[in-house]
Amino acid sequence: MKTINLVVDDKTITVPEGTNIFQASLDNGIYIPGLCYHPKLSQFGGCRLCMVEVTERRTAHRFACAHPVSEGMIVKVNTPKVVRYRRSVMEYLLAHHELSCPTCDKAGECSLQDITHELMLSPSRFNAVRMNAPVVRDNPILELNRNRCVLCGRCVSACKEIEGVGAIDFQKRGIKTYVGTAFDKPLDCSFCGGCLAVCPTGSWQDRTLEFRGRPWEFKKTQTICPYCAVGCTIVLNTKSGSVRRVTSDDYIGINEGNLCIKGRFGHEFIHSAERLKTPLIKKDGAFHPSSWDDALEYISKRFQQIINEHGGKAIGGIGSEKCTNEDNYLFQKFCRSVLRTNTIDNLSNLRSPSLNSLMYESVIRGIASTSLKEIEHANTLFFFGTDMTEAHPVAGTMARKAIRMNNASLIIANIRTISFSGTAKNDIRLTYSFGSQIPFIHALIKIIIDEKLIDLKKAESSISNFHELPLAFDTFSVKEASQVTGISEEMMRTTARLLTKSGNCCIVCGRDVEEDPLSRDTIKALMNLCVLMNASSPDTGHSKASLLFSRSHNNSQGVNDMGVVPEFFPGYSTTSDVSNRENIEKQWGVKFSDDIFMRESKNIFELARNGALKGLYIMGENPLVSYPNGKEVLEAFQKTGFIVVQDVFLTETAQLADVVLPTVTFAEKEGTFTNMGMTVQRLNKIIQPSGVDAKPDWQIICEFAKKMGYSYSYASPKDILSEIESVVPIYSGINYDRLKRKEFYWASSVSGSRNKSAKYLLNIVQPESLEIKQNKDFPFVLLTGVSLNHQGTFSRYSNALVSVSPECFAEMNRKDAQKMNIHDGDAVVIESSQNKVTLKAKVTGKSPEGIVFVSEDYEWIPINLVRTGVYTPVKIYKETGQI
Amino acid sequence: MNTTNEKSIQGEAIDLSKVEKAVEKYKNVKGALIPILQMVQAEIGYLPAPAIDLISERLNISASEIVGVATFYAQFHLVPRGQHIIKVCCGTACHVKGAKKIAEKLSKTLDVSLGMTTKDKVFTLEEVACLGACSLAPVMMVDENVHGKLASDTVADVIKEIKESGFSQ
Ligand code: SF4
Ligand code: SF4
Ligand code: SF4
Ligand code: FES
Ligand code: FES
Repeated sequence: MKTINLVVDDKTITVPEGTNIFQASLDNGIYIPGLCYHPKLSQFGGCRLCMVEVTERRTAHRFACAHPVSEGMIVKVNTPKVVRYRRSVMEYLLAHHELSCPTCDKAGECSLQDITHELMLSPSRFNAVRMNAPVVRDNPILELNRNRCVLCGRCVSACKEIEGVGAIDFQKRGIKTYVGTAFDKPLDCSFCGGCLAVCPTGSWQDRTLEFRGRPWEFKKTQTICPYCAVGCTIVLNTKSGSVRRVTSDDYIGINEGNLCIKGRFGHEFIHSAERLKTPLIKKDGAFHPSSWDDALEYISKRFQQIINEHGGKAIGGIGSEKCTNEDNYLFQKFCRSVLRTNTIDNLSNLRSPSLNSLMYESVIRGIASTSLKEIEHANTLFFFGTDMTEAHPVAGTMARKAIRMNNASLIIANIRTISFSGTAKNDIRLTYSFGSQIPFIHALIKIIIDEKLIDLKKAESSISNFHELPLAFDTFSVKEASQVTGISEEMMRTTARLLTKSGNCCIVCGRDVEEDPLSRDTIKALMNLCVLMNASSPDTGHSKASLLFSRSHNNSQGVNDMGVVPEFFPGYSTTSDVSNRENIEKQWGVKFSDDIFMRESKNIFELARNGALKGLYIMGENPLVSYPNGKEVLEAFQKTGFIVVQDVFLTETAQLADVVLPTVTFAEKEGTFTNMGMTVQRLNKIIQPSGVDAKPDWQIICEFAKKMGYSYSYASPKDILSEIESVVPIYSGINYDRLKRKEFYWASSVSGSRNKSAKYLLNIVQPESLEIKQNKDFPFVLLTGVSLNHQGTFSRYSNALVSVSPECFAEMNRKDAQKMNIHDGDAVVIESSQNKVTLKAKVTGKSPEGIVFVSEDYEWIPINLVRTGVYTPVKIYKETGQI
Repeated sequence: MNTTNEKSIQGEAIDLSKVEKAVEKYKNVKGALIPILQMVQAEIGYLPAPAIDLISERLNISASEIVGVATFYAQFHLVPRGQHIIKVCCGTACHVKGAKKIAEKLSKTLDVSLGMTTKDKVFTLEEVACLGACSLAPVMMVDENVHGKLASDTVADVIKEIKESGFSQ
């Protein structure tokens, strides 16, 4: 990259060509006042404050944000003339500003206030005219006070460019211009809070804060968002030991200061009055508060009794997608070595059982994405079976960045039509028919080969079993695939061509693929697609295409990395392999009883339902509502004699437990989370739990172990992580202190160490499609998915999120609805062979006919008790009697 | 989005096929928002919300942005307009000569507030800046005709004249 040397205020600086003076100065610690320029946004040049004196061939006055640097340029930021100009610009801006600083939540971090102060603008030459515009409070999250707006346009750009929503824009013109929605309708957007974050004044206000503290009183500490698997860095603002708001920082974390509604506004659960306050022991069907000592004494006695009578394998353990790596590592170590059972699992693995091994294989073979940032660096993005906007919102903003910066092409394929806003020049949206994902991928492969979209010679020489390919695809016809998938041949061809276009390609494999009964073969087919693209790439060894696997929760990746699954020890070493067992035995100083690894393939709830489990230890999960078949979980619980649940709230699952132990939230604990890009990031303990006698999960496990006669001598998660570092090869090299400054990317160290000259291998599968049997009594298929506004237990205890999204809807196709005379908002019953639930209908064109879609993330709606599996046959009727 | 007929805020049925036609015409033209809005306004007379929603959906531009554009240019109208547009000048010269009174009188005579359209949809009353006929101040324009040297007790006559000339309905 060409660089330019220039002098700003007597300081010589070197910056890349094409940089503007404002950014060049910012990057070099030189301050230029400005209200409208923002490094993340496109240049607007509206505030006129950034005027500087520039000498190139001659001396002139320029707007720093709009003027590119040139070699030898001399810039003066504060000449008397410039300052005079700047003062008068500010005087105009302030002429109708309400200057309500004493009651403005922005005061103290307000650029307008700071510049006013800095330029000593008092008194003004003008008589101030207040606009007295009414404050807009049409939604529960954001307030808009136009009397404070300087029309800098930052919020408008953030909404459009970063979030892709465009909910607000400048309305009217001249003196009447204001920021607002179309027809002044109430703000109806994704509530990412991007407008709030970029506004240089107090126009946008966070209603979860509302006078509960002033910016200078807050202690700001960064940590990781407790919701989805993107793993955004959030900054908790605390005062007197309580969290008052969440902000973001453009310069730390993988999210560059972008957040979604949950991360920015979903913090109220931390101080919820509904939190579990003490351990609870159930006697005669009712919970009674107990001391920690009594509770731990009681559970250890009961578990010991089970071990004595039935052996440890009669105990099951469920680890948590929301707890830290340290909690989960210790959990599985405790289950395996103290409770002496290998019947442990986690919800992510239970829902997509083939994912772990294929994900790990992809990492080893260099096909997997090694960081979420690969989305940003992509030239082609292929979202397959994922609803990015709802599931991983900030990954969506990364995609929009790729579209803005690299002019990336976008391909989205789903069963339903999903919303994703972007401005890609090549933007392909496909809906494939139910269960036809493998024929779809195969068609792409077939087209790539037929049309020679890749260098076939190269592929042949670098793939050891390339010769199998023509054979396998001999009878496969794109035309038939087009019929099966419902995607036109032309569209499939366009897709294949875009995928193989030059540049990086990032394929995001979504949960619709991962949780499908055919997921194993679908993922293999996707891997083949990547292999073909990589093997033929001009510089072999460099991954042209990479596969990013979706994970749901903040630590869905970590709980699997930590081996809270029956088939793997931490780091994906198989438990069936005796040498792995011996290795772990040596490291932990224990001896496993031989029989505990026998039934590794069995589902834990199935074992319990068959009466094989006498005790269950559940850490931070609510499977009753999050497992695709709630009835099975219920039956499993009923059959299991003794259940211990550790959680922050009294969840549906906890209510069925015999003992409930209160744990702390992410804000009150230390540890690490691993996101879906396999990036390990560190949490910071920010506050002490107050008003609740709760403990971090790892500490509970240590005390539990002690009661069971084992001594775990970890003083903090740091000690646990250093054990992980030595026991878990994929985490080798991780360092707790270093994580404070920099994330740890385990997949890049693993795939970086692979043998680059090794040949690629295809893993050819049959182009099978899933057939859903037509069922006369239950003619619809219930499909579930995720929601932007809710996830897990925490969101339901966060008022802001609940008030934006209080209700879960049944989304159905317009034609289906018409046939049954169902209208938007009608109460409809969704009934399966085992249960039913009543929801309000939302009639859309999004779901294909025959499919009803319900989000799973409204925990209080027991949709999973209706489900009998991934796809559940249901019938639908209006609540007022069956039609 | 239902592409057949929808009701506007004013409760009128709107033929959205006209909007479809405009969008179709500029399908392959980049940055065609303004010509589309012009065409829709020419067809429907103003830009009703359902039309804007449809354009938003088809062009993948948010409704806020479209309304932002429409409210920026004086040529676009978001509310229905009357058959005759009365523009009362409120420029400096007219202001000095009592434009305020004229406007008030008109508003009273027509029973409509400034910027709005009469119930029978015959007149829309608007305020404008200098019409360039300051020597005739105070001035108003009815469609293309300039009426100068007005006085608050004569404007009613002007309106009456217009109505009677059969020039309306
Ligand atoms: S926006 Fe800034 S200057 Fe305006 S009232 Fe708030 S703190 Fe004061
Ligand atoms: S609301 Fe804030 S960010 Fe938006 S234009 Fe006004 S001052 Fe700028
Ligand atoms: S929920 Fe996900 S996308 Fe939203 S802020 Fe948290 S980590 Fe980021
Ligand atoms: S910062 Fe340059 S014009 Fe506003
Ligand atoms: S001020 Fe009214 S015509 Fe000039």
